[in-house]
Amino acid sequence: MMALWAALAAVVFGAMTKDTTQERVIYGFKVFAEFMVIGLVLAWVLYFIPWS
Amino acid sequence: MVKTERMHAGAAEPIPGSAWLIGVLAWFIPGLGHLMQNRWGRGLLMGGAVWLSFIIGFAMGGHMFDLNAPEGSSQILQVPPMIGNLGTGALYIVSWLLGYGFADDPQQAARATYEYGNMLLLLAGLLNYLTMLDAFDIAVGRKS
Repeated sequence: MMALWAALAAVVFGAMTKDTTQERVIYGFKVFAEFMVIGLVLAWVLYFIPWS
Repeated sequence: MVKTERMHAGAAEPIPGSAWLIGVLAWFIPGLGHLMQNRWGRGLLMGGAVWLSFIIGFAMGGHMFDLNAPEGSSQILQVPPMIGNLGTGALYIVSWLLGYGFADDPQQAARATYEYGNMLLLLAGLLNYLTMLDAFDIAVGRKS
């Protein structure tokens, strides 16, 4: 699900920035990777916080 | 000229009325602003992402927010997610008029995909704000 969310956001971010198609595709992949990495890092940080 | 001077020099030109119309239509129907300007690739990609996010969000059991606060909650807390959901334009308005997708049903909330659905519905709205702004920038001539 996180991957789907990241992919949809990456498509829009990639399509609206940069000038050439190649740059857009690379940027889209970059944004996707950043969303995934940040999501996973946050998930692990929150996992170790004692909530109860 | 320095970059900031070039930016300020360009900013003096009036924004055409058609650009505002394109911006509003882009908000109202996701992707339409780009399609009206013959940007088929961008329109289908960006608009498609918004529509897909919206449809999958509903399919996962998510719900949208309006000003009706559930019992025990404040109306003010409904405003930020409502603004997010409003980004989908006609999709939100039609759903609201039909009374579909706004109920905070405990059975629906028990679904494993409920929160994912909520997030995807919010994502659809927020992505459409970006899409709308991109269509407006193209109409104004700031982007190719």
